[in-house]
Amino acid sequence: MANGLTIRPSVEGLELDPQALAALRDAYGKMQQLSATDNRSWIYWAGIHGFSQFMCWHHGRVGSGGDTRPYNLFLPWHRAYLLHFEHAARDQNNGARLPWWDWTSSGAHKRGIPKSFSAPKVGNERNTLHDGPMPPMPPDPARNTVRFPGRPADLPTAAQVNSLLSATSFADFNVQIEDIHDQVHGWGGGLNPSPPPEGGDMGVIATAAYDPIFWAHHCMIDRLWYLWQLRHGVSNIPPDYLDMPLAPFAVTVQDVLDINRLGYEYAQSSTHPSAPGTPSGGGDVTHGTGKHH
Amino acid sequence: MAPANTTKKAVGNPAGRGYESPRKPAKTYVSAEISLEPLDIEFSRADLEFEGVDHSGVSFEARVFLNNKKADARTSKTPGNGYAGSFHIFGHGGCFGDVGHCDVRGLPRHYDPRPAHALTPARKIVVATDAIRRALRHGKSMTVSVVPIVTSATSRCDFENVLKFDRVSVVTYL
Repeated sequence: MANGLTIRPSVEGLELDPQALAALRDAYGKMQQLSATDNRSWIYWAGIHGFSQFMCWHHGRVGSGGDTRPYNLFLPWHRAYLLHFEHAARDQNNGARLPWWDWTSSGAHKRGIPKSFSAPKVGNERNTLHDGPMPPMPPDPARNTVRFPGRPADLPTAAQVNSLLSATSFADFNVQIEDIHDQVHGWGGGLNPSPPPEGGDMGVIATAAYDPIFWAHHCMIDRLWYLWQLRHGVSNIPPDYLDMPLAPFAVTVQDVLDINRLGYEYAQSSTHPSAPGTPSGGGDVTHGTGKHH
Repeated sequence: MAPANTTKKAVGNPAGRGYESPRKPAKTYVSAEISLEPLDIEFSRADLEFEGVDHSGVSFEARVFLNNKKADARTSKTPGNGYAGSFHIFGHGGCFGDVGHCDVRGLPRHYDPRPAHALTPARKIVVATDAIRRALRHGKSMTVSVVPIVTSATSRCDFENVLKFDRVSVVTYL
């Protein structure tokens, strides 16, 4: 690749690119087969977000070490998390790219969960995008994730997204996008229509990251932050956020502001397939497209 | 919060807790009358800010209605019903630890490098400009009703004590 940047495709684009889709399924499948004690495993990476490590950032909190100022590291923390997870997936299959699920698209508002993630099987084999393994969470035994998604028409709309992209301050954008994020999590997990009264795993923090659709949802959130940055500035964030660490990752907020410095870019629409002609189904991008900062 | 030029606040304190579950009718939070007289009439945006919102349990949509004390899960989300907007909570799903695991620690000690507790209560905002303008035309005070609709949960969750928050404020921006 000319400049080393990779393109994260839309899910719809990924579904038009069998080679890229197979690479992602292969990477996830290999991670899912590794034991929970292996730090390359699906369970290890999902466990950073929820059970059992609960290191994710949601909502505002005061700082550490006596710093009583409020911070909300929801966006930068998840950007760092996606980046590290994506490299862990690429260790299993270098062609894997995290796709973004555009839940505002007309397809999403008709079908809900994309077909590539909703089909239990691919041919005769298990679809590794349909569900993921979870460890025992005493008293509950180990099992795979489940979903009871809501009505497709209840997903957020493009109008909602356009409205939040017009927010001029980071704090305002952050609180509004986090609410839409919360909405999609509850929608994706849903509630079992029959007893016992449990929900799907995407629906609560403890279990969400074990569901493969989690990563596509958060790529959409990360992409929206990127689109907002293009409008309002990459460095448009409170200055006192910049040196905040994003534990357990060895990066700070400053380190994750520019996605090109992190080695990736987003495909520009939800219907474009990834660039052809590369083993990964990903593609190179160049600076100077007129849309980059 | 983000938009500059905050003008004035009208503040209400919750008089009770609202409940909603997929199995039984929910008690809805209804505020006492909140005076709107401190608000400037001219504003470009008005928000309802909910502070101290608990997110330890179920995930839910909180539907907010103004001047509609009878709003419940069956009330349609229309201006005529006083619907102002919703906020959403991505809940933790109940407690996955031992006793005390979900007790929010106080402020971090000096030299304690850990982030504050993950269950630090949240602040949520509903941009409700049109609804608050309608309420101002309606009178000098208003009530805020919040109807929680559970969207996802685990068997560890309390399906009755869904909605807990410290206070709701009306904030306007020039």
